[in-house]
Amino acid sequence: MASAASEEAVKAAKVLMVGAGGIGCELLKTLALTGFSDIHLIDLDTIEVSNLNRQFLFRKSHVGQSKAHVARDAVLKFRPKINISSYHANVKDAQFNVDFFKQFNVVLNGLDNLDARRHVNRLCLAAEVPLVESGTTGFLGQVTVHVKGKTECYECQPKPVPKSYPVCTITSTPSKFVHCIVWAKDLLFAKLFGDKNQDNDLNVHSKDGSSSKSDVFERDVDEDLDQYARRIYDHVFGYNIEVALDNEETWKNRRRPTPVYIRDTLPEETVQQNGTSRECNNGHEEPSAMASLGFRNPQEIWTLADNSRVFLETLKLFFEKRQKEIGNLIFDKDDQLAVELVTSAANIRAHSFGIPLHSLFEAKGVAGNIVHAVATTNAMIAGLIVIEAVKVLQGDYKNYRMTYCLEHAKRKMLLMPVEPFEPNESCYVCSETPLLLDVNTKTTKLREVIDKIIKSKLGMNLPLVMIGSTLVFEDGDGLEEDEAANYALNLEKVLAELPAPVINGTKLTVEDFQQELSCSINIKHREEFDEEKEPDGMVLSGWSAPVEKQVTSNGGKLAASSSSAHDTVGDASANPGTKRKLDEVLESKENCDASSSAQVIEDDDDTIMLDEDPTLLKKKRSQ
Amino acid sequence: MSGGGIARGRLAEERKAWRKNHPHGFVAKPETVADGSVNLMVWHCTIPGKQGTDWEGGYFPLTLQFSEDYPSKPPKCKFPQNFFHPNVYPSGTVCLSILNEDSGWRPAITVKQILVGIQDLLDQPNPADPAQTDGYHLFIQDPAEYKKRVRLQAKQYPALI
Repeated sequence: MASAASEEAVKAAKVLMVGAGGIGCELLKTLALTGFSDIHLIDLDTIEVSNLNRQFLFRKSHVGQSKAHVARDAVLKFRPKINISSYHANVKDAQFNVDFFKQFNVVLNGLDNLDARRHVNRLCLAAEVPLVESGTTGFLGQVTVHVKGKTECYECQPKPVPKSYPVCTITSTPSKFVHCIVWAKDLLFAKLFGDKNQDNDLNVHSKDGSSSKSDVFERDVDEDLDQYARRIYDHVFGYNIEVALDNEETWKNRRRPTPVYIRDTLPEETVQQNGTSRECNNGHEEPSAMASLGFRNPQEIWTLADNSRVFLETLKLFFEKRQKEIGNLIFDKDDQLAVELVTSAANIRAHSFGIPLHSLFEAKGVAGNIVHAVATTNAMIAGLIVIEAVKVLQGDYKNYRMTYCLEHAKRKMLLMPVEPFEPNESCYVCSETPLLLDVNTKTTKLREVIDKIIKSKLGMNLPLVMIGSTLVFEDGDGLEEDEAANYALNLEKVLAELPAPVINGTKLTVEDFQQELSCSINIKHREEFDEEKEPDGMVLSGWSAPVEKQVTSNGGKLAASSSSAHDTVGDASANPGTKRKLDEVLESKENCDASSSAQVIEDDDDTIMLDEDPTLLKKKRSQ
Repeated sequence: MSGGGIARGRLAEERKAWRKNHPHGFVAKPETVADGSVNLMVWHCTIPGKQGTDWEGGYFPLTLQFSEDYPSKPPKCKFPQNFFHPNVYPSGTVCLSILNEDSGWRPAITVKQILVGIQDLLDQPNPADPAQTDGYHLFIQDPAEYKKRVRLQAKQYPALI
């Protein structure tokens, strides 16, 4: 491996590492020990206690400091003569522009989110610098090589998006624990503590018209806190279930849920009972129902009664200790009290619907989409990144490989190498193929196209919109007031009434202020849209839409998922312009489902799980 | 061809580059038409007179007109009509080597370089290349009067705030 030629290439190389977390720590160490001597490192994060088990360059005393700087210092201790430049900054900052990227021979990603990955991909394409991209999720991981013109770019293939659930499953017919978690977090928690003006499908109407309140979640100024907590409990776990039961149709082929009332779950407890213990929870510590109730073990599954106690206690603690935040809270997996509330509420609901209860630890995992990181996977992936980086530096493109790390050996292989694919000719990021947008140009505002298409689908942050040489919109810094005001007016105009009218046949050019990406969109006027299938009222074609259905690549499921992996590959081939080497598609399908569709997109414990199936979590833990 | 691919692409880049970073006191922005459209082919600019020169205090309006052939061809740069300077034509058009397709223009020259180049020209006229009689004669024959006219002109173009 360490031929003279590769040693030379390594010594002469200037490399950029993006991310100094789980993969980044391993990678920086491996780069330094391989002989790389000019390394630049960007990370915006600071070190947290939960990083210390695997981000081995960090120690307890570093908590709160910049990951990039501390990682640099740690490696310089054992390789004092090499150059490492660290940046405690966001890779999306303007200082890291195309010229910045151009100074590197290769860019190595150890990132934890899709957004930053797309950004780096676009800059690497613009700067024509090869990118070695990576990710891990538990035992799974992959390293891919992206060289403009030679291999597909990071965005040539659709990326999985987190799964969403049908609203009715969440509001009325949960069948899995994850449905209860989504209900507790996105509906109940949001209703209790989030923005009151937000749409929410939780039933807020009480049975007796006697109550003057239209929203039972509102607490009267003088309402006793205990009274309030019990009222909410009975409403969401009792009354709302009764209302749902009224709809006989729903339950014809389903198990009927049981309403749960506080008088049944905690019959003997009186109002003041929790009062004394709460005293010891003084203002200094983060309020926690587990602490004030004396529950120690987060891995223990609480009984229905205990869940009920936790639920009432969290509600009270929110009102007593965190009153100021109420109205603008968003669920956060690191917010202990929020996790306690969501766990207990999900469990009470699960009980109603005959779904097995879960511990706080498990519920937190599901609610925060956490897959626990495996240090060894990160180390293996870091090693593979360096192997590919050395090939890239030597221009050895015939030997580039995408490598997938599996949980269980297949054909006696744990690491599955796959030849890289050619660029997707219709990729809107790395090819110049125009996109096509079907839209009603007489009723659709520019703002809608920008929000629903340019930002959410094309992933731009600060778009510029042009028709020929006429600008109709710009976003970002450096605009004067009159310019910004003018663009604000344009946003509210419908397409056909823009100063440069956008009508059937118009070609829009869209660029981003920071990303160095330019796309053309051909406009096709259409008046009728199917509300169900085309809810945006516009349809973008010619780009690779994220795959909604997740093909899990987790161990035991490989066999079962291979048929859906086939489907995904099949869909991609059916797309005009999506040409991939057939033998490779076949090979990848046969060898490794993970490679064909289920790209693992995240790294680390702060990972978004691809499939929110909680069984997946359980399985991991049992190993 | 509505508005040219290459010219448009380059001008969008110039626009972004300017928004991200530009020299202090300078203004350069694509023309906003009454209907709310912004035309990338015409830029309205302001060039500040350099400090410590007779041009100090003046903020001189300049228009850049780009053609479909930009950046193969340079933009036409115009001050107001009858602008007082030896190298400015009575029409206001600036005569400067880097703006001449046949001599100093190169497609890589940026809008920022053009504007800074014109700012330099203000205080360092090129007597070898006269474009108006008035300014040229005074510059050659009556330096005191030339100085007076320059200072007067600077007062005629105060900062727009």
